Formats: sequence, structure tokens, C-alpha cells
Amino acid sequence: MEGFLVQMGVQYRAPAIDVILPVGISFYTFQTLSYTLDIYRRQLAPAASFRDFALYVAFFPQLVAGPIVRAIDFLPQCVSPTPPRAGRFAWGMFLMTLGLFQKVVLADTLLAGASDAVFRYGGKLAMIDAWAGVLGFSAQIFFDFSGYSTCAIGLALCLGFSLPDNFKFPYAAVGFSDFWRRWHISLSTWLRDYLYIPLGGNRHGSLRTGFNLVVLMFLGGLWHGAAWTFVVWGLIHGFYLVVEHTLRTLFGDPRFFSTLLSKIAIGLLTYAAVCFAWVFFRATDFGTAWRIVESMVGITGTADKLLATRELLQVGIVTVILLTAHWMLRETSIEKVAARTPMWLIAGVWATMLFFLILNQGSANAFIYFQF
Amino acid sequence: MHSSTSSFERPVPAMPWTGLAVAAYLIAAVVTVAWEIRVRSQGYEPTLNDTTDLWADRREAVRPDALVVIGDSRPLFDIDLDALEEGLGKRPIQLAIAGSGAYPILENLANDESFKGDVVVSLVPAMFLTPGGYLEQASKDALRRHRSRSPSQRFSHHIAMFLEERIAFLQQEDLTLAMLLQNIEIPNRPGALVPPRFPPYFQTVDRERRTRMADECAIVGSPMQQAVTASWQRLFVPPPPPTWIPPEVFRETMGKGIEARFGETAAAIAKIRARGGRVVWVRFPHTAWVKEMENIGTPRAPTWDRMLQVTGAPGIHFEDHPELAGFDCPEWSHLSAPDSVEFSKRLAPHLKRAFEERQPKS
Repeated sequence: MEGFLVQMGVQYRAPAIDVILPVGISFYTFQTLSYTLDIYRRQLAPAASFRDFALYVAFFPQLVAGPIVRAIDFLPQCVSPTPPRAGRFAWGMFLMTLGLFQKVVLADTLLAGASDAVFRYGGKLAMIDAWAGVLGFSAQIFFDFSGYSTCAIGLALCLGFSLPDNFKFPYAAVGFSDFWRRWHISLSTWLRDYLYIPLGGNRHGSLRTGFNLVVLMFLGGLWHGAAWTFVVWGLIHGFYLVVEHTLRTLFGDPRFFSTLLSKIAIGLLTYAAVCFAWVFFRATDFGTAWRIVESMVGITGTADKLLATRELLQVGIVTVILLTAHWMLRETSIEKVAARTPMWLIAGVWATMLFFLILNQGSANAFIYFQF
Repeated sequence: MHSSTSSFERPVPAMPWTGLAVAAYLIAAVVTVAWEIRVRSQGYEPTLNDTTDLWADRREAVRPDALVVIGDSRPLFDIDLDALEEGLGKRPIQLAIAGSGAYPILENLANDESFKGDVVVSLVPAMFLTPGGYLEQASKDALRRHRSRSPSQRFSHHIAMFLEERIAFLQQEDLTLAMLLQNIEIPNRPGALVPPRFPPYFQTVDRERRTRMADECAIVGSPMQQAVTASWQRLFVPPPPPTWIPPEVFRETMGKGIEARFGETAAAIAKIRARGGRVVWVRFPHTAWVKEMENIGTPRAPTWDRMLQVTGAPGIHFEDHPELAGFDCPEWSHLSAPDSVEFSKRLAPHLKRAFEERQPKS
């Protein structure tokens, strides 16, 4: 609130309220809302058992950072538990290892240093440093959040529960609606089903559709925190979606867009635009955001070289591997890939991830999405 | 309406996952054992990591009448707890933090109404007087951990100590993946503002945070001694001022901050004394290039002498006492483990006298 009022020119200092918020409050608010609305819409029968309902709301693997689970997906698993299946526990362990590796090794060890340094710096940056910080953060937030979701899915599997996917190789998205079908899927589908469609969705003409998209993304941004930078991040995505919708309305889907080359070109454009938006998501204030944007386009004049060559290389190599992997896997799933991978390779990759996790020795940071 | 029996089940790829898990964990175990053997062959031995958790343990051990040591890495290496206990009749609690500015710790003790004990404060002027920055942050991080440790963090810390006392590669200063990557020599761009690396592992730490210099580092000319002295030559050169603040503004801001630090320190010490506590400043031995740099950058009169005068607390400067001045620091900044015992024995009577000096209550 203070931040909002200060931006509006009102000096206000809210009294300090020392409240301990329940763990995962924003995520179980989403879940209980969807449960209530589904029952109201007669799409779901109320849970017969309070114990099952409590487990649905407070299921610890996904409680603090998602994925947001629908009652319609989870409650039946409480009523009719799936019978034990050979390998499910170990596959869950593999997913937990993969998720931890994404978080601890890729996000925290290889990427966080560059992005933290760039977004903390008070001066003008050389173009390559600014881009490294932004690309580093783009990859960091993916590995951090996707890593948590993968851990949650794996841990739930170990306990005999199935959780939905939360990410589907989003940096290979072709266009922004495709991006939101692949990024934080459980949030974007929640907003679609309980906000966008009730607002009218795309059923009342282009103008209303555009308005709905902007409202949707404004609230999506605001959900991340009471700061104008998050709102601007949401509005930028709202703008992207409106532009995309308008272009589709005007030109349809021209045939040449379906060629691989044009898909890659549009995909890279989408990725660059998403990275630009991340600047406002990560920056703590607009001064920092503008400074980084200016540095990214190289209009800063004299600028500082902040990052070590090693950090530039780390960000560059991880980003190239990340984008390549997302493009190679965009039409498939981790399960399908695992099923056709040689066993020796799976064992080797698994062991390597375990060893790198051991090498990190508890030096990891908290998950970024724990704050939301 | 959906019934409550609709099904949603994630697929499990058709693979012998249990067998793969056993294979992966076995391979990881073998590689880990091989890594442990390798790092031991390089001279590493099991030791605790000097983490904020370990510091918080010691802070929690501070009783109202405790003898507490605060400051930078010099008292960590140079004070032998047994020798000081023998000389002063009270076992010191080691709260000094390597690479830190200790003012936040002094302030914390001053604001702790229950504390009325004795404090030994190490003064390295460039570290203690510099306001803000990473030096103070090290102390603030430790204090934050002390104030807000969760039960899971405490539990994790106890498991970590158990393992670190037995496994050599659990060495956070040198052997984490991040540090191993940092140690790869890749030339930086000319003019890049890359901070200097901290020295390599050259000490052992126990549960009381008694820190002992590794034997190899105490041998002048050894690779470890040379690596540590080389790192001092990078670390003791002041970083360039920020480019986004005009130099004169930066100098003025720093000047005001340093001036304020004298006043804040005097106020903190006055608070401790008002409750019956006592404070003594100590300038620990340093030699060769480090001493030359400190003498040029932070001459004695406007720093050490002024601090004693402003705070009214007694001080022991190693150069003022022949029995304290004769020690050689193998890597120019700290004493070897055997010398730290002898130094502490010789320091104890000085501390005793200084504590017994009449210290004004305000």
C-alpha cells in the first residue's frame, strides 16, 4: 500500500502489523476458491469427507508454490487411491532429483550470481552485462519455479498422488498465448476459467476481449506483490496478448507462419519480449528497470563492465542449452522422453545430478515463488 | 456434475525405475567417495564451516556476565580460548567474524539489556569504520540468523556439523560447486569491476569457533601461504568508488559515515558500561605488506588513537608492547596456530589490567 501511495505522490507510512501469515496462503486461497466456485457452478460434488478436503487444501508438496491443484483432479484420488504401481516411487524420486537440480545447481549456482549483481547495481551497465543479467534471470526464474513444481510433482507421486504439469517448455512458445499455455499453467488456467471466461472471454468482440486480457494480466501481475513493477509486468503481458489477438483477427494464421523457420523466428521474438517483461518483474523499482532497459539497448554512454567472463559464459551456455532443449521438447513430455532414453543414460544423468547436488553443500537460496 | 470418482493419473514411463534408482545412487556414492579421497589428498581435512548458524550458536551462549570477543578475522585466528580462559578466569565466547565490520555486533550487545559482561573488540580501522557495504553485511547476516532461526534450520545445522566434522569435501569456502567454478582461471575483460576472490581454505574451525591456521599456511613459501598473501594483495586494495556517484559526493558521504561511526561506537560502548560492562580495544599483529598498506590507508593517529579517545575505552596495540610485537604473521595478517596460543598467554595479563582500569559509566 505504501508503495502504491508513494508512487501517487502521497506520503504514507502504514503501521507495522506483525502478522504471521499462514504458509502458502495465496495458493490455498486459489484452491479453496476454485473448489467453492466449482460447487456453485454444479461442476463438482462437495467433498464427502472433511479429512479429504483438508488434505486437498493443505497437501504439503505443492502448498507453498504450486502447482495450483483443482479439487476435481485431486479429491477423486483421495476417494479412490490409485493402486501402487511398479516404479512410481522411484520415478517420483527421479523427478525430485531433477527439480532440485534445476533449482540448486542451475538457478542458484549458475545463474543467480549474474542476475543478482546486475539488478542490484546502481550504475549504468555495458550492454552485454545488462543482457546477461536479464537472460540470467529469465533462466533462473524458470529453473527455480519449474524446479519447485517438478519436486512437488515427484514428491506427490512418491506419496501416490498425481499433480498436473505446471510448465511445458515455455521458452519455446510461439506467441504469447502459447507462452501462457506453457508457463505457470495452473495459474493461467485458473485465471482463464474463473476470471477471463466469466468476464466474457472472447465472446463479445475484439475490444472487450482486449479489455478482458488486460484486466486478466493486470490482476495476474498484482497477485505477485503490491508493487507497481509487478503491475507493469502484468500490463506488458496484457499488451502483448492484445497485440497478438489483434494481429490474429486481422491476418488470421498465414500459412508461412507454420514453417519451422518462421516458428523459430516468432519463438525467439516471443522469448525476447518475455525477457524484456522480466526486467520489470525482477527490478525492485522503476529506476533500476529503466537503467537496465537503457543498458540493454546501449544508450547509456559510458558504462560499467560488471560481470566476470565466467558469469557471462555461464549465463550464455545455460541459456543456449535451455532454449535448445525447450525447442527440441516443445511437442513432447518428460515422461515420453524418459521412456525412449537408454537406461545407461538415465542412470548416468541421475547420478550426475545427485553428485552436483552433493557438491552444492546446502548453499542454496529460498525458492523465488515462496514470496508470492 | 463430475462425480468424485473421475480419475487423473500421471503416466510413469515404462522403465525399471527401482533398478535405475539403485544404479544412480550407487554411482553417485562411488563418485562422492572418490571426490573425498581426492580432496583429502590435496590437503583438506574435515572441519566445520564458519556459518551464520555456528555464530548464532555462540551468540546464544552469551550470558549476562560473559567475556565476548568481537571483530574481524584476526581475533578468530589469534585468540586461543584455553589460554585466555587460563589468564582471565573466564572462557571467552568467540563472536568475531572473518571479513566483517563488527559495529552491528557491538550495537547488538549494547542493546541487549541483559548483557553486562566484558567485550574485547578488534580494531582494523578500514573494516570497523567503513559504513555499510559487504563488511557490515556479514555481521548483519549473522545477527539475522541469530534472531530468526527456525527449528528446521537448527536441526539442519546440527546434521551439518555432524557431517562436516567427518567429511573433508564439505568445505564451503573452497569446495562447493560455485567455488570450484570461481577457481577456474578465465581472464576478465579489461576494466571489469569483478571483486577479488577471498583467500583459499587455510584454517580449521571447531564448535566454539576456535580458528586455527592450517600448518601448510604457516610455512613461508608454501603454495598455500603464497595463495593467501596474493589474495590479501587484491583484497586490501580499496575497491574503486561507484561510478554513478560523483567522487566528491562519495568522499563526503563516506567521510560523514566514518565520522558518525565514531559517535555511534562511543554511544554503544557507553550503554554497555552504564550496565557495568567493560570494553577493551585490541590491535592484533599484522606484518609486512599488509602492515604497510594499513599504515598508509589508515594511519594510527586518526583511527586507533582517536577511537580510544572518543570512546574512553582502554586499548592494547600490539606495537606498544615488545612481548606482543615480536610475532610473525606467516601470511602477513594472522598468527599461526602455535603462535596464537603464546600470543594469547601474553595478551591475557594486558587484558586483565585493561579491564581493571577504571572505565567511566558514561
